[in-house]
Amino acid sequence: MALARVSGLSFSYPGGHEALRSVSLALEPGEVVALLGPSGGGKSTLLRALAGLVPHFHGGRFAGRVEVGGLDTRRVRPADLAGTVATLFQDPEDQAVFTRVAAEVQFGLENLGTPPAEIRPRAEEALAAVGALHLAERPVAELSGGELQRVCLASTLALRPQLLLLDEPTSQLDPDGAAAAIELARESGAAVVVSEQRPERVLEAADRVLFLAEGRLLDEVPGAWLPREAVVPEADPGGEPLCRLDKVSFAYGAVPVVQERSLQVGRGEIVALVGPNGSGKTTVAKLAAGLLEPQAGRVVRDGRACYLSQDPGRYLVRERTDEEVALAVGGDLERARAALAQVGLAGFDERHPRDLSSGERERLALAAVLVADPDLLVLDEPTRGVDPPRKDDLAALLRAQAARRATLVVTNDLVFAGEVADRCVSTVAREAVLA
Amino acid sequence: MSPAPAALLLAGLAAAALLADRIVSVAAIAAVLFVVCLRGPAGRRRLYLVGALGSGLAVFVVTPFVSQIGYHVLWSGPTIPVFGTLDVTREELRIGLFQGLRLTAVALAFAAYALLLDHDRLVQAAGFARRSVLAVALATRLVPTLERDASGLSEALRGRGVEVTGVRGRATLLAPLLAGSLERALNLAEAMEARGYGRPGATRAPRPGWTALDKAAVTLGIAAIAIGALWL
Repeated sequence: MALARVSGLSFSYPGGHEALRSVSLALEPGEVVALLGPSGGGKSTLLRALAGLVPHFHGGRFAGRVEVGGLDTRRVRPADLAGTVATLFQDPEDQAVFTRVAAEVQFGLENLGTPPAEIRPRAEEALAAVGALHLAERPVAELSGGELQRVCLASTLALRPQLLLLDEPTSQLDPDGAAAAIELARESGAAVVVSEQRPERVLEAADRVLFLAEGRLLDEVPGAWLPREAVVPEADPGGEPLCRLDKVSFAYGAVPVVQERSLQVGRGEIVALVGPNGSGKTTVAKLAAGLLEPQAGRVVRDGRACYLSQDPGRYLVRERTDEEVALAVGGDLERARAALAQVGLAGFDERHPRDLSSGERERLALAAVLVADPDLLVLDEPTRGVDPPRKDDLAALLRAQAARRATLVVTNDLVFAGEVADRCVSTVAREAVLA
Repeated sequence: MSPAPAALLLAGLAAAALLADRIVSVAAIAAVLFVVCLRGPAGRRRLYLVGALGSGLAVFVVTPFVSQIGYHVLWSGPTIPVFGTLDVTREELRIGLFQGLRLTAVALAFAAYALLLDHDRLVQAAGFARRSVLAVALATRLVPTLERDASGLSEALRGRGVEVTGVRGRATLLAPLLAGSLERALNLAEAMEARGYGRPGATRAPRPGWTALDKAAVTLGIAAIAIGALWL
């Protein structure tokens, strides 16, 4: 008997377009289903419908039926489905309730009425499973993106659900961490629906694949979503050096993050900076862009540097997208509109940045730094939440403009690194990059 | 010290400051709380201390101009419609100082609560009104969260070559910060619901019992209220 059944589900958000159109599917206990599709195609909405959050939390027009564990999600509150269903949301920063990791993982168990004596051991077991037991007493605010994503995964696994819904669970994890997370979900014994924009590892683990585009389930997966092999580029450093880090060190308080690291990026080359979570990639990127000053060593830069943050939510300062992009060029709206068109956002000029989808926000952020045409462009995880065809577009755009500047790309996405970069630099030993 | 007795002690000191009617008593309580706040993380305590001391100072400065008390005039200014003659008397200064110190003491007690207490353990310790305690803990996190968001927005702007300087520059960040916190609140509410928040029959992880220090803190907190009402 199916654990979950979706029958003829159509859904529109209040005042919005139809996010899901006549979707029908059944999920069997213990199976792993990869949910692929373009940004804005309805993947997150389908996961929310399976958790009962659509329509209970979001409102909107709902037609059809969703049953999970024999319960009609329209008749049962999402909180009452919790435990049967557990959801890991796309943005780990926005789902942490408590300030310390241990309390965060215990929160769901307490809500479900777990016997008090079992709460702490189960939370510790889940943290250990995701390799984050050492973080138990750390403040959530001090975790890196990847560490926080592990903690959020532990929070869902601790509930021992029958249906595990994972919305881009590896977007901030290094390749090893991503593989371990998917494997862990598979081993949990729950039916797993995992939405991903880095399909390689998910497809390896999945029993079957669903492809959702424009709210409809399609029968075939387009070629762009099929797994590709990561090829680590190995060109020699070249071009007029525009940024040079000489044995730089940096520590946050007493915690050293970067120690005696050297790196050079020349005009015309694209360098990918890879390495495990917490190994200092973002700190190196900020040092290169001049957002941090090294505590030892020195950084030499030539020309204007621009830095793209991991978090597209930081590019929502103005009321219109063209004005947002124009900030970097003294309010020149013509240049801003050209930059928006370059990233596929032509015609979005007057839209409020907060009305954009997460994928569109990513592109807006990219336009906001590309518009300045910097000599040194530093991109921190530019493919987070970006679907494979958009990654191809981004790689093509960066390659087309490569000769104009030096480009440093921090990424956990080795396939993208292989496609865009001339060479790869790791924050750890080279062998670890390919492991 | 456990967070619940510590919160009670801080509340007792704040109540004593409100109940006391001698300037020296309120000043002593404010001084003690100021020293306690200095134990907070250096990066975060500045905002709270500036807020607490600044609001107390503002009350001290404004009070003589908006009240009409006393006969020992120290300064006499122009006559303004509605307000009357602007003057400053010794009694008004005394009242301004008293009220300013009271406000400072209460604000410092809150600062110590926000800076030093483990809010997670406080929520977990709440045997009743857990929802209210959680709401207070989440509200307390608003200030550090806004600090972090402001720093992130400012960094992203610097990454585009836009420097945020001066009061006007920082003021432009207020609207996006507010909009961002509303968006986050919605996401957080959704995540909490998905994790079963609000279901009947919730339990709590076992917590350690109170130590002798905790019991002493509770006693001291209650005593502070009584002493403030009767003798200070």
